Amino acid sequence: MRPEHPLADVERSLAVPPRRRLDLLEEVDADTEALQAELERRGYGPAQARRAALRQTVPGTETLAQLEAQHAPPLNRWARRTGWIDRAERLGIVVATGLAGAVAFTTILRSGPLGSAAVLAWLQVIVVALLAANWTRAAKHLWVAGDLRPDLRRQLWERQIGLVVLAVALGALGAAWEGYSAYEALAAEDFAVPAIGDAVRRIVSCAALGFGAAIFGLFGWLAITPRLISDETIERRISAFFTGSRLTPTSSTRR
Amino acid sequence: MQATLSKRINELLVLAVLERGPAHGYQIALSVEERTEGAFSFQHGTLYPILHRLETDGHVRGKWGGEGRRRKTYELTDDGRAELAAGAAQLERQFRVLLELFAGTHAA
Repeated sequence: MRPEHPLADVERSLAVPPRRRLDLLEEVDADTEALQAELERRGYGPAQARRAALRQTVPGTETLAQLEAQHAPPLNRWARRTGWIDRAERLGIVVATGLAGAVAFTTILRSGPLGSAAVLAWLQVIVVALLAANWTRAAKHLWVAGDLRPDLRRQLWERQIGLVVLAVALGALGAAWEGYSAYEALAAEDFAVPAIGDAVRRIVSCAALGFGAAIFGLFGWLAITPRLISDETIERRISAFFTGSRLTPTSSTRR
Repeated sequence: MQATLSKRINELLVLAVLERGPAHGYQIALSVEERTEGAFSFQHGTLYPILHRLETDGHVRGKWGGEGRRRKTYELTDDGRAELAAGAAQLERQFRVLLELFAGTHAA
């Protein structure tokens, strides 16, 4: 198994935006290499010089905490100052979920009685609330913690897409259910025009609710996409940094 | 008090080194150790938070350079020069008071 790069631990534990993480890694890496060369000039052996250089330059836990506090996003600093840091995610989720749920609730009330598909329509409220909660979690990691790692980003994206698909499916199912129920009723009334209008309105309401929830989920994610793309670009540079770093990983450096 | 004084001394040491000209992080650390004859040294990358704080406060300017590979150099700003002068004068006053106090203790 290939030994880890000496700065891999630093990269993993430093919870700051990727740009800051990359800057620090490059700075420490270049300093370590230069210090190693300097120590070799002073008579140290290569392995001894590298160990000494790493001991000098690689930030310890306390230093990493200081760097995190320094490079945290402004929202994070404000949340720390006011003591809201631990409650930020929960509060955000409650607010976003409440708002999204209220909007979906109002939409259902305004669209009038939904008939037999009402259960599915109410399920949509839950889906909309879950979409809002998922989005809030991603936003909290991006703008409060400043750090949304690829694994979590993938997990949140998959959940968002799953919920969008569920919203569309519930909308389609509701519309089909309404259509089926309406057909039976209409057949009994010899397809009277007012009854047809009412049935069409119910079908469209169900489909629109599903479509609206899906749009809400997709557009919400679209809003954070520019930041996700720029973070991902830097994450790729961080991976390239570990591949291209001249500070070769050997077991002798991990002490 | 102790933490504040130590933090202040560290900042002034970095500024004093940079007064002689731009330097990389490791050069600053080595220079501090050499110029203070080992009395002060920066361990475990403790220099980075100090440098980054001084950069945020505008006392030093960090510049990325290097061909193919990025390397950061720090240089003193005019603000930093003024901060160094003010800080050095303040430290001198504080230490004079302390030394007088300790001298009195020895005499007793």
